[in-house]
Amino acid sequence: MMKKRMLVAAITALFTMAAQAADMNKVLRVAFNVPETGFDPAKVSDTYSGAIIENVFDPLVSYDYLARPAKVIPNTTVALPAVSADGRVYTFKLKPGIYFAADPVFKGQKRELTAADYAYAIKRHLDPTINSPWSFLVDGRFVGADTLVKAAGKGALNYDSPVEGIKALDKYTLQLTLTEGNYNFLQILAMPAFGAVAREAIEAYASNTNAKPVGTGPYTLKEWKPGSKIVLEANPNFRKLVLNGQTLPKVGRVEVSIIEEEQPLWLAFINKQLDISGIPQAALQEALVIDPKNPLNVKLQPKYAKQGIQLERKKDLEVTYQFFNMQDPVVGGSAKEKIALRRAIAMAFPRSETIAAIRRGQAVPMNYVIPEGVAGHNPAFKGAVKYDPAAANALLDRFGYKVGANGLRTLPDGKPLSIEMATGTSGIEKQWNEYWQQAFDSLKIQLTFKYGKWNELNKANRQNKLQMWNLAWGADYPDGENFMQLLYSKNAGDANSASFRHAEYDRLFEASLKLQDGAERNRLYDAMNKIVVAQQPWIFGDTRIRSSLAHSYVKNFKLHPLLNTTWRYIDIQK
Amino acid sequence: MFAYILRRLWQMVPTLFGVMLLLFVLFNWVGGDPSYILAGKSFSADTLANIRHQLGLDQSLPQQFLIFVRQVLTLDFGISWSTQQPVAEILASRIGPSLTLALPMLLVSLLLSVIIAAIVAYVRGSLTDRIVTLICTLAMSVSALVYIIAGQYWLAHKLGWFPILGWSDSLATNLWYYIPLPLLLGLVVSLAPDIRFYRSCFIEEMGHDYVRTARAKGLSERTIMLKHVMRNALIPVVTSLMMSLPYLFLGALLLERFFGIPGMGNEVLNAVDRSDFPVIKAITIYVALATMLFNLLADIVYKLIDPRVQLK
Repeated sequence: MMKKRMLVAAITALFTMAAQAADMNKVLRVAFNVPETGFDPAKVSDTYSGAIIENVFDPLVSYDYLARPAKVIPNTTVALPAVSADGRVYTFKLKPGIYFAADPVFKGQKRELTAADYAYAIKRHLDPTINSPWSFLVDGRFVGADTLVKAAGKGALNYDSPVEGIKALDKYTLQLTLTEGNYNFLQILAMPAFGAVAREAIEAYASNTNAKPVGTGPYTLKEWKPGSKIVLEANPNFRKLVLNGQTLPKVGRVEVSIIEEEQPLWLAFINKQLDISGIPQAALQEALVIDPKNPLNVKLQPKYAKQGIQLERKKDLEVTYQFFNMQDPVVGGSAKEKIALRRAIAMAFPRSETIAAIRRGQAVPMNYVIPEGVAGHNPAFKGAVKYDPAAANALLDRFGYKVGANGLRTLPDGKPLSIEMATGTSGIEKQWNEYWQQAFDSLKIQLTFKYGKWNELNKANRQNKLQMWNLAWGADYPDGENFMQLLYSKNAGDANSASFRHAEYDRLFEASLKLQDGAERNRLYDAMNKIVVAQQPWIFGDTRIRSSLAHSYVKNFKLHPLLNTTWRYIDIQK
Repeated sequence: MFAYILRRLWQMVPTLFGVMLLLFVLFNWVGGDPSYILAGKSFSADTLANIRHQLGLDQSLPQQFLIFVRQVLTLDFGISWSTQQPVAEILASRIGPSLTLALPMLLVSLLLSVIIAAIVAYVRGSLTDRIVTLICTLAMSVSALVYIIAGQYWLAHKLGWFPILGWSDSLATNLWYYIPLPLLLGLVVSLAPDIRFYRSCFIEEMGHDYVRTARAKGLSERTIMLKHVMRNALIPVVTSLMMSLPYLFLGALLLERFFGIPGMGNEVLNAVDRSDFPVIKAITIYVALATMLFNLLADIVYKLIDPRVQLK
């Protein structure tokens, strides 16, 4: 009996050692500058929570760490899925032998990942009681799912009811059938939000799923002090994952501190209390030598370079823009004088100055609705208007916006012209407002600001109460559709914040959905961008460039355009 | 005394009701709609309606206020709208770190400022008094943020005497390693105004007739200061102390943010930023209750210090 117990213990120890590649003595210390909200993949959408979810849960497919541009690769599947010719049916084969992290809910048994777990995880995004912030990516996408959602009303989804579009064919085979062909659906499924969850864990922790993430990813949540500290530990049940001959993850423990102020964040990094950090805006000059002739040409300050600190940079997959409410009687509409007004405002805004002064040169002007690095981007297209306040004034004169006795322009019908711009109250927003004020002053147009918190301004915009507001959109997935939908009329008042409605744009957008990435779709995107340039619902902003630093002892440090974190690939060699 | 305490406790009910009403009106007026944060960046009207339903925001305002009343009566504020963590757990985890910093800061500041104030009041008009007063005036004219930024930069980063920031699960580690710098900077910020205030209290007391009488009786200066002046000067000290005690629960916002202390100050800021009404409600109600209770305690302590004080 004793011998048998010893044998079992030895085998268990051997198994654990084999599976546990991570060195539990190695600790990676990083920081978030904004507090997270929770770790239920179907309940949160902020970047910081997403960074943790990415490490705890496994989506079906993910991105190659090293390949550029970003390339989708199998994650828990044996290969990329078989996709039907019409892009509607995706069939995934899961790798057998992938297990969830140990949790009391599994009662000491190893719990294998199955196709049903993915079906359940996807259905959760449709559940009316969960209100998934990602539901916009799956609503109406799956055959038969709408019926299930309607049947649920305001109650919980009946997860046992079969749905034709989300089916586990057997233990390891998942079949997703879409209502319409969609060639970028794999990229949606690569998002951490679509990682597999175990139904019994979700049901057991129903009252607090945000604090009890149980997944099959490389790390498990060891400790969570909301808004203060998050500790991850390597998941001993994590499947064997090898990159360049190294079994991953390497680091046994990841400690995330929430540091919202710029000075302590920067000082904590240079004093080696953090291993990896972004560079706060205020420390850019301290950390980098920026070529004044070409601010994108940067290198580390010699004192940091001497210490072996590593610099990595990436262009965000984002666009920033100031939109006009196209339904507004003053700034909206497609009449020539309305377009002239929007164009003149765009021409009076000194974008290169804001990039130099506010972004410290660490941004590139936006010229196309789709940013660089996203499928469909056209680097040759120059959509932004040229900065020319004199020509902008001439344009307003030509379309009847006369300067009145008070020195301010009026509408062509003689009524007063005053435009209200929505804005937040942070220091950086005040800097932006100064440039906008300067632009409006140069046009002799009265500008007022409507101050508010983001949620209040968002509410006001959905109620059609805003005239202008500055927004940014980061890629959910690296496909042009994710950006071009921002001006699709069916999304008006939602993702289409400008409430832009243009029949030809809609027709081209709908046609583009039927095409895969390629020359034919790009032609449609160019035509849609020409409409945007002609109608001017947006004033194009910029795309930011982020710089991150790591100490010399951090190995395999490389940023990825889409992955929030690369912790599983990193090693610490002090 | 007992009747007085009972009467004061009874008077707290309408005061608390007023606080609740004011908070409720303010939140609904300028607090922001949390459903627009929870819904994410793109959502349907149905999703928004579901969220509002789950948060109870689709109920009438009187109904929402009644829920608030019930929460105050049971002291159960439910779960955070933002993180979905129980509010009681959030506050319980935050109060410890806040007190770990704020309590020593209050005690050390009180002790030092009373002693220094008594000394400079005693040597009023001397060079020492003038130098201390000048330093206090200069110190008070500098923003707390400047002390924190400069202190962290020079003492922690440049000189390496302290860690930049951090927090541990061990109280001893916190007190020995992480608290000293924020404590020091907190003291620098609070000492100057306290010394000036207490100095003026002492000087006022020292000018009273009973001090002259005591001197005429031949009492030593030490006895006059410690037995007579100090005792009477303690009344404004107690007032000031009791007024600051409720704010211990709110933590030292800037110090907590700059030194990574997971206290209440940060939580308040995040809750306001995220329109997290359950957390805002709980903190406001607890601080209001603490303020009223410490005010009552102050009155009782007055009576203990000076038996001439009548509680009516």
